[in-house]
Amino acid sequence: MRVNATNARATIFIVDDDMAVRDALKLLLRSVGQAVETYGSAQEFLDAYSEDRPGCLVLDIRMPGMSGLELQQKLNEKHSILPIIFITGHGDVPMAVEAMQAGAVDFIQKPFRDQDLIDRINQALEKDSNNRAALGERNDIRKRLETLTPREREVLDLVVHGKANKVIAGDLKLSQRTVEIHRARVMEKMQASSLAHLVRMVLEVGQA
Amino acid sequence: MTVLRVAEPQEERAQRLEREFQAVLDAAVDAVVLFDHEGRIELLNHAGERMFGYNEEEVIGLKVNILLPEPYRSQHDDYLRHYIDAGEPRIIGIGRELSAKRRDGSEFSAELAVGRVKGTEPPRFVGFIRDITVRRNAEEALRRSEAQLTIAQEIANLGNYVVHFDGKFEDYWSPHLYRVLGRRYGDTYVSVYDYLEPMVHPADRARWQQARDELEAGVKSMDIEYRVIHPDGSLRYVHHIAQTTRSPDGRVLRQVGTLHDITDRRRAEDEARQMQDRITHFGRISTMGEMAAGIAHEVNQPLTAIATYAQACQRLIAAGEWTQEEIGSALEQIGAQALRAGEVIRRLRTFVKNREVRREQIEANRILEDVLTLAQTDARHNGVRMVLELSPQAPLVQADTVQIQQVILNLIRNSIDAMVDVPEARREIVLRTRIDTEGDVEFMVADRGMGVDAATMAELFNPFFTTKPGGTGLGLSISRSIVRAHGGKLWCNSNPGGGARFFFTLPAVPASPGSS
Repeated sequence: MRVNATNARATIFIVDDDMAVRDALKLLLRSVGQAVETYGSAQEFLDAYSEDRPGCLVLDIRMPGMSGLELQQKLNEKHSILPIIFITGHGDVPMAVEAMQAGAVDFIQKPFRDQDLIDRINQALEKDSNNRAALGERNDIRKRLETLTPREREVLDLVVHGKANKVIAGDLKLSQRTVEIHRARVMEKMQASSLAHLVRMVLEVGQA
Repeated sequence: MTVLRVAEPQEERAQRLEREFQAVLDAAVDAVVLFDHEGRIELLNHAGERMFGYNEEEVIGLKVNILLPEPYRSQHDDYLRHYIDAGEPRIIGIGRELSAKRRDGSEFSAELAVGRVKGTEPPRFVGFIRDITVRRNAEEALRRSEAQLTIAQEIANLGNYVVHFDGKFEDYWSPHLYRVLGRRYGDTYVSVYDYLEPMVHPADRARWQQARDELEAGVKSMDIEYRVIHPDGSLRYVHHIAQTTRSPDGRVLRQVGTLHDITDRRRAEDEARQMQDRITHFGRISTMGEMAAGIAHEVNQPLTAIATYAQACQRLIAAGEWTQEEIGSALEQIGAQALRAGEVIRRLRTFVKNREVRREQIEANRILEDVLTLAQTDARHNGVRMVLELSPQAPLVQADTVQIQQVILNLIRNSIDAMVDVPEARREIVLRTRIDTEGDVEFMVADRGMGVDAATMAELFNPFFTTKPGGTGLGLSISRSIVRAHGGKLWCNSNPGGGARFFFTLPAVPASPGSS
């Protein structure tokens, strides 16, 4: 999955089967200058949405057909990172708890104060933006890792495990000088400013 | 006895008479005994020997009263003396029934007739004794069977009759028929149908008359249920069955029939039906409870839309970024959504309207017994045994019976669900009533299911909390509201033997002499 965090504008996706609620939400969010798209059913949204579009999902938990929870599950299966804010009725607390356990960022009970919803949406957008940035960085790290030769990769693994050049030379049956050259190439290719930075990047993508 | 014989010598005639007399004695079925003025036996015939178990020689010269048990034995001498002194016959010449005594001491029912031998002085007597045991037994058996029939009719509340159509006999009323038709046994005679006709409820009379006409016209039997109004004005239900007997030429000779008072059964059926109606009604109320969540959702939708439109309009106006069209359409929506919310509430009101709370004084035990009947099928279906432990004090409570039954049924339902996974041998629900330390009536529903853990226990009574797939989470919260509305409390704890115990209390009503 390739995501560029900078080049798309965040959109609020509203999925609610109630036309009036949907329309009112759209008007409210337009009034604060947000880009809004509305969908009358979970399936409609699923068909239209592409993963690289940043923003957040405002999702009614109770809907005929595919419910909000089922849509969340389908998005999770696709490893979607789109943050979800659930809109619930006052009796839906157990469902809301389930939704939170499945990774929803928040829920808000109907009827709600406009500012509460707007605040939650802003938090969700920030989170999405951070997620996508982190995701972008991880993608960059992976790309840099792919440029390493097999020998450089071996040296990297031993370096991040804290082994000294002399030990690495012994393990790989190389001269200490050769190890030093490989190590310098790794630092350069990975754009690491220090050994600590290098270790952090490798941990970030879970390759240590 | 007059025997005409011509020219028979005196002596031959005497011998012939002697032989004939002996033949009469020997052939007699009854015992014949001859005795003198002091009661000494002079002769006992064969039948007498067989009947009493004596040989004639043994009893010759003995007092005739050895053939009688006390008190007849002692009285006999008096009778005899009385007759001789006063010439007054007491038993002499009159047949009477008494007990006789055999040689072995056993007694039997006998009929006794005594005659004086004419022309003897001091007088001599002849006694005839007939064993009437068989007849007496038959009479006794008949009397017993009649008594049993009467008792049976009393128990069944059923009477029978025979109506004669040939005018020769009065109609037969069995003793209990009087009761069934509101009369007293021994009231003046009246023909069954003449009496019955004006009693039949006017609304049922045409049907009754038609059944009778058909019976007379040749239908094999009549079998109908109808109402009758007793002389005291009370209304009873009867089940009437009748059949006709005809002469060979087809005339109606008589009709025999039974009248069965089925009022209690009918009342029980009516009561059961009413109970069912109320349960159904409450079922709707309870569904209403379950619908509460759905209704809240339905009201929330338009409210959410209204609030959001209004807030959006405020923001647009504050920002000065609005168009007339945008604001106009939002206001139109606000109006429409407000009407939509009103419509939901109107429907809810219609739904709740026919709910009235009915409080009555009722025995706590009776509530449990009735619930048991209702829950039995469900329990049996799930292999659950139900055990009743009723308070011997039979306390009274003031309650809306149907609501309290609904609470108990709900607890039983939970218990049954909780035992789905335990072995059948363990599946048991105990229903108990008792008076607690504060004098309130405590109901308990205890199961031996999986029990309730502490975390669940804390949430158990919260609305919408449920551990069942597809549960609404409203049963216990509604139950608790019902019990609280009755002034009681509802709680639960763990059953020491495994499983859960649910309790609720209702304030006891002090039993007053006037109430029962």
